[in-house]
Amino acid sequence: MFRLNNTSMFRSFFRAPLSTATEAIKSVEAAAVELDKLYKTVQIELRGNDPAVLTSFVKFATTAGNYLNVQSHSWHLRKPTHTRFTVLKSVHIYKKHRVQYEFRTYYSFISYKHLTESTASTLLEYIERNLPEGVALKATSVELQQLPEYLLEQDPEQFTDDSNKVSHV
Amino acid sequence: MANPPHMIAHRKSWNSWNTSNLDGGLRPSETAIEDVFIRKFMIGTWHALFVSEIIVKRQHNIIRIGGIIRRSISARKMYFLIGYTEELLSFWLQCPVKLELQTVQDKRDVIFKYI
Repeated sequence: MFRLNNTSMFRSFFRAPLSTATEAIKSVEAAAVELDKLYKTVQIELRGNDPAVLTSFVKFATTAGNYLNVQSHSWHLRKPTHTRFTVLKSVHIYKKHRVQYEFRTYYSFISYKHLTESTASTLLEYIERNLPEGVALKATSVELQQLPEYLLEQDPEQFTDDSNKVSHV
Repeated sequence: MANPPHMIAHRKSWNSWNTSNLDGGLRPSETAIEDVFIRKFMIGTWHALFVSEIIVKRQHNIIRIGGIIRRSISARKMYFLIGYTEELLSFWLQCPVKLELQTVQDKRDVIFKYI
């Protein structure tokens, strides 16, 4: 497991308890106004020793994405990474006779497109909880953000829709 | 057990399932030593009861220990041993440990071929 999401836990742990009921209601209202983040892509990298386990899990994860109406597609690295180390076959002498051990790491990738925050957290939670043993998962998400105000003030024309201009060329 | 080590991932599978030996895996040596310790502890605690290899599976922070045992002791003793093993191992390894045991009546039930 590479993905760590401890911030929310710490936040709730260190926050002082709410003193009155009105404060509690206010905080709930503030939370309701908070908008969902938008994710352009959520990419998941899987590593494992067994290619069969990986392909099976990729099938599961893409199917789960399809049921939530998320565009998902997957690919594999063609070749695994081999980590080898060579030792003497005998304990002491006979240098010509070696034995070679090897760790293989197979890579698989899944990419989900255009998600909201709630969908992404639900999907990731579901996938992570069903992660089989011996498979490592790394989730990378790309968030969409609004253009900063100061850029728009400088030169608004630069950021307007170019689709009409292109037709003249 | 009837297959040599080079048949791993072809005809037989691993006894330890974890992510330590992947690229960028964390604490490989600790995991290996812990697995050896778990196996020794299980063989000693469930004395002459295991008829299969002991499988150690790690998911997140949970360790699941699987295997097949003989039904030669009473159910009451078996329940005690399960609780004892889980309690002690989770204290030593500082993480939740679960046993996933299956039983057979006779140890000849798990022999598939003689070589």
